[in-house]
Amino acid sequence: MKTSVRLMGKTYQFQSLKEIMAKANEEKSGDQLAGIHAQDTQERIAARHVLSELTLADIRNNPLLPPEEDEVSRVIEEGVNEKIYASIRNWTVAELREYLLSPNVTNNEISHIRRGLTSEMIAAVTKIMTNLDLIQAASKITVETRCNTTIGQKGRLAGRAQPNHPNDSLQGIKAAIFEALSYGVGDAVIGINPVIDTVESVKAILNMTKELMDKWDIPTQNCVLAHVTTQMRAIKQGGTADLLFQSLAGTELGNKAFGISVDLLDEANELILKEGTAAGPNVWYFETGQGSELSADAHHGIDQLTLESRCYGLAKRYNPFMVNTVVGFIGPEYLYNSKQVIRAGLEDHFMGKLHGLPMGVDVCYTNHMKADQNDMENLAVLLAAAGVNFLIGVAMADDCMLNYQSTSFHDIATLREVLSLRPAPEFEKWLEKMGIMEHGKLTSIAGDPTFFL
Amino acid sequence: MSEVDIQRIVEKVLVELRNRMEEKQQLEEQHEREVESENEQLFSYDVMDWVTNVPTPKFPKGIEELRKATPARIGVWRTGTRPLTKTILKLQLDHAAAVDAVSGEVLDSLLKEFNLFTVETCYENKEVYLKRPDKGRILTEEAVKTIKERCIKNPQVQIVVSDGLSASAIEANLRDIYPSLLDSLKVNGLTQGTPFFVKGGRVACMDHIGEILQPEVLVLLIGERPGLVSANSMSAYMCYRPRKGIVESERTVISNIHSGGTSPIEAGAHIGTILRKMIEQKASGVHLEL
Amino acid sequence: MEDRPIISVGIDIGTSTTKFIVSHLKYAKVSNRFSLPRYEIVERKIVYESPMYPTPLREKRNEINLEVLKTWLEEQYEEAGINVSDIKSGAVIITGETATKKNAQNIVHYLAEKAGDFVVAVAGASLEGVLAGKGSGAFSRSREVREIIANIDIGGGTANVAIFHRGKVLGTITYHVGGRLIELNRDGEITFISPSIEPWLRSKNYLLSVKQKLDFRHIQQIAREMCNDMLNSLTGQKPISVDDPLIHSASMQMIPDIDEVMISGGIGLLLEKEAPKTINDVTIYGDVGPLLAHELITQLKKFPFIKLNKALQTSRATVIGAGMQSTEISGATICVTSSRLPLRNLPIMILELNNEQLRNREYMYKQITDSLTEWSNYFLEEQETPFAVHIRGIASCSYAELKELAQSLFFCYKQYFPHNSFLVVICENDIAKALGQLLMLQSNNKVDIISIDQITVEQGDYIDIGEVINQSVVPVIVKTLAFMKN
Repeated sequence: MKTSVRLMGKTYQFQSLKEIMAKANEEKSGDQLAGIHAQDTQERIAARHVLSELTLADIRNNPLLPPEEDEVSRVIEEGVNEKIYASIRNWTVAELREYLLSPNVTNNEISHIRRGLTSEMIAAVTKIMTNLDLIQAASKITVETRCNTTIGQKGRLAGRAQPNHPNDSLQGIKAAIFEALSYGVGDAVIGINPVIDTVESVKAILNMTKELMDKWDIPTQNCVLAHVTTQMRAIKQGGTADLLFQSLAGTELGNKAFGISVDLLDEANELILKEGTAAGPNVWYFETGQGSELSADAHHGIDQLTLESRCYGLAKRYNPFMVNTVVGFIGPEYLYNSKQVIRAGLEDHFMGKLHGLPMGVDVCYTNHMKADQNDMENLAVLLAAAGVNFLIGVAMADDCMLNYQSTSFHDIATLREVLSLRPAPEFEKWLEKMGIMEHGKLTSIAGDPTFFL
Repeated sequence: MSEVDIQRIVEKVLVELRNRMEEKQQLEEQHEREVESENEQLFSYDVMDWVTNVPTPKFPKGIEELRKATPARIGVWRTGTRPLTKTILKLQLDHAAAVDAVSGEVLDSLLKEFNLFTVETCYENKEVYLKRPDKGRILTEEAVKTIKERCIKNPQVQIVVSDGLSASAIEANLRDIYPSLLDSLKVNGLTQGTPFFVKGGRVACMDHIGEILQPEVLVLLIGERPGLVSANSMSAYMCYRPRKGIVESERTVISNIHSGGTSPIEAGAHIGTILRKMIEQKASGVHLEL
Repeated sequence: MEDRPIISVGIDIGTSTTKFIVSHLKYAKVSNRFSLPRYEIVERKIVYESPMYPTPLREKRNEINLEVLKTWLEEQYEEAGINVSDIKSGAVIITGETATKKNAQNIVHYLAEKAGDFVVAVAGASLEGVLAGKGSGAFSRSREVREIIANIDIGGGTANVAIFHRGKVLGTITYHVGGRLIELNRDGEITFISPSIEPWLRSKNYLLSVKQKLDFRHIQQIAREMCNDMLNSLTGQKPISVDDPLIHSASMQMIPDIDEVMISGGIGLLLEKEAPKTINDVTIYGDVGPLLAHELITQLKKFPFIKLNKALQTSRATVIGAGMQSTEISGATICVTSSRLPLRNLPIMILELNNEQLRNREYMYKQITDSLTEWSNYFLEEQETPFAVHIRGIASCSYAELKELAQSLFFCYKQYFPHNSFLVVICENDIAKALGQLLMLQSNNKVDIISIDQITVEQGDYIDIGEVINQSVVPVIVKTLAFMKN
């Protein structure tokens, strides 16, 4: 493995793949906080240069976190198709980039080679791609999944209705769901982040949303984003859940901090397939986000982009219905400003799609980051152009429970109009039946939540 | 006094009161009008002016009901697929308040009002503060020296105030929560040491202060990451025998303290009860039974 | 701790039947661990329902037979498998005609004392109507639909109407309409005429007397007119007036437009039966009930804009409401002297102050002295006079303002009620703990303070406050008194 390069009269010698991977990243405050970042821009480019010339085999043979020490590494390793890997093992990372971007490589080809790729290889190629590279490559990939309804088709943009309430008031949650539906949002999922992580409360929200879906015959799926163990108990006690939710980390230690393990997820998987209310076959909703491993001190000196990619390697095991990277939620110590958030959003979406995952993005920021709503609107357009499966819909983008800003119902409606995208097909039919949408456009009654009272 | 008597009395009162109600109402209405005209001169904008509405809702009475059910920005209407101008401006105004809360500083005069002296963490400046949370957890050498000189050691209750991520949280809430907290100590029979203010603090600066002063319990009033609903939200973190190595789950916290959330006066009054229980049970956080 | 439900009983002693239920009220912490504690009753479940039991009366029919009733209740407790000491809440209600029996008050209080720690006697037709509407399903339906829904609970002696809209009670009204106001033997001979229906009968020129024989048409005529009068009044065709002999009491003067009705009570149950055709069909229960039920349906058809909806519970609606729906719990940051609880039957003195008025020190002070003067006028000076001060209107206030309020209130209270050894304050908003501690510091242990919040009461209500549960909340029953006639 070649680990040095001479650029502009200066020799850059790197000690390990871990160092090369970290230093090849675009600037991120999280890598700086971990103390693994490139010292200057030239060192960054040097690392990228070295990385681009490494072969996929180099990456596989020099594990950043050996499978013997970490179960996420084991899951990723087990997922590799050896035949396909053998056929591409001598490609350099640069060759992989150019392959993905070449005009005759389509969704079919990508679907084939992804089975020979590890999450680390996918992270590596991401590091040497520009923003527009990430958009173009991702836009080639279609990942359709089905729970009660199907999302992810080309030309479609779904939205999660995120009707959170500061104390889980069922009436309050309902009010925000009505607003979402009236703007044509809620086709990906009606998903609530509860404040109160108790079985009673989770069950109440699950059943309320299910009743609402039944009453209005809404073709979508419901989910309450509590800890997976709480959801499991709620389901066992008669809670009606279409989707199981869990946040994932890219290391075993990080998942331990989340209170989960592969064994637990396997158990949950069995339960939701047996006792969930959805048709399936895809019944998981995962969330990720760069920086979570470092914040749990579970990063093993690995950069946050690579760790994020490993989350997707783990997610793949469960054939999820949707994967959402909550890109700017974690704070300025991981992604300092809008530039870093936009970059991370594009990276995550691309990496997830290359893994074959139904990627959506929570395009978001907190108020102590150097970012504002305009930045989010920009990123949302970029992602919609890249073919993102779904975005998050929050009333006027302001989540009054989680205290951060995402994208709004208005934003999703606007993106659909501007980029000629449609809601998920079954949901679109329902919107037409309700009179909220006609020929892919909102009608005059759209935006009136009292329609559902 | 028998029940029948009471019932009779209540009925009598009701009749009397009803007669006087009208008179009172007139007076009140007059007073309200006066206040309103006063306010008009003071404010050029009423917050209600920023509210946009669905022009012809299917169920007109329903809009208020839905709005009341949640602080989420619903029923705001649209032009095409975009929000109306005032809705956008309101969002931007709230974001501006949040951003300013992060970059702001607590006024000295407020701290003087409560005899709080100021020490600093190693945060250097706002940018470093945001990028390096670890630096806000450690007090400067000078701060350590000052605290050692000025504070009572081993107090039963140590109160610390810090700006954290929102200086305006302190400005908005300290006058209510602080005296209420002091009274709740009295009611619960607790005594406190020498309170002070920490500039550039993170929650875990409690641990460092705990090492220096060795209080039985410590309560930290700190500005939260501002949201759009309120940029003035404060948290009260409480810990039994705070020291280095304490984990998050060993702290008890009341968050979302502001006039539109958890009431600062009620939070202050409740802190005394929590601290007393911590001392009784010699525990805090998940180990504390409330 | 949170898994243990509050065991609540309901006892409804009606004109013709007595019912008893046991329910479990499950309460749970509904706050997250980062906020102030908050509890709510999250589930109300019936665990035992008694059979319908004919209300035992003494020979002269003007007294309830307590001994018989007691024995029956004891059997029911045993059947339900509960001990009196387990019961923490609930209500005893004497409804309809029975409430006018000579010993009704005593019975209710006797039972309330014996039935469990905190079982209260409920006074007033207004609350009965509301509880019946909650028991029948009308209340919860009103939360789901846009329509205004009236629940008409008709038993033997009265029809208690409660009007709901989107989960709120708009008002109540009670009529002298019931199945057992006139009793008949199998042949149609009158055996009893209730005194409460006599004024109405007279006003309609029905000169009836015991032993008189009525034929089917005649009874139908009376039942029809009774229903018609009630429906005309309910639909606003006829103004609500204290002079109306059919009206027992009302909490409102104008009735809003009703879109839907549900009919509960014994008459509600009879609706499901076939219409009576002969005098023998009518008198099957020895009263006019079956025909009254049938006429109600027929007359209701004259008001096509009102939709009839089937009640989920009919004859048990009131007892279910009383047992399951009467109890609320307070906010969880409160300040109470536990040794003083439970407290029963406290009348409410309202102290209404908005934020503006609170800031105006003189206005506030005057408001307090005015209210207290008023109250003290009605009470004897030399004795303890229990009542509760309800503070409402204050949205959020500063600690300094609250301190002013506490000082003024305490000072005046001491002055006007020097013999009172405790002060009960019920706040509308979440300020009870702060206000309570301020009052405690004022009182310096001389007067016991009970300060609770997040309870809404109205002028004329009574309140019962139970013992502290889980060191944080108290169960509360608010009893509403409608404006009684006479």
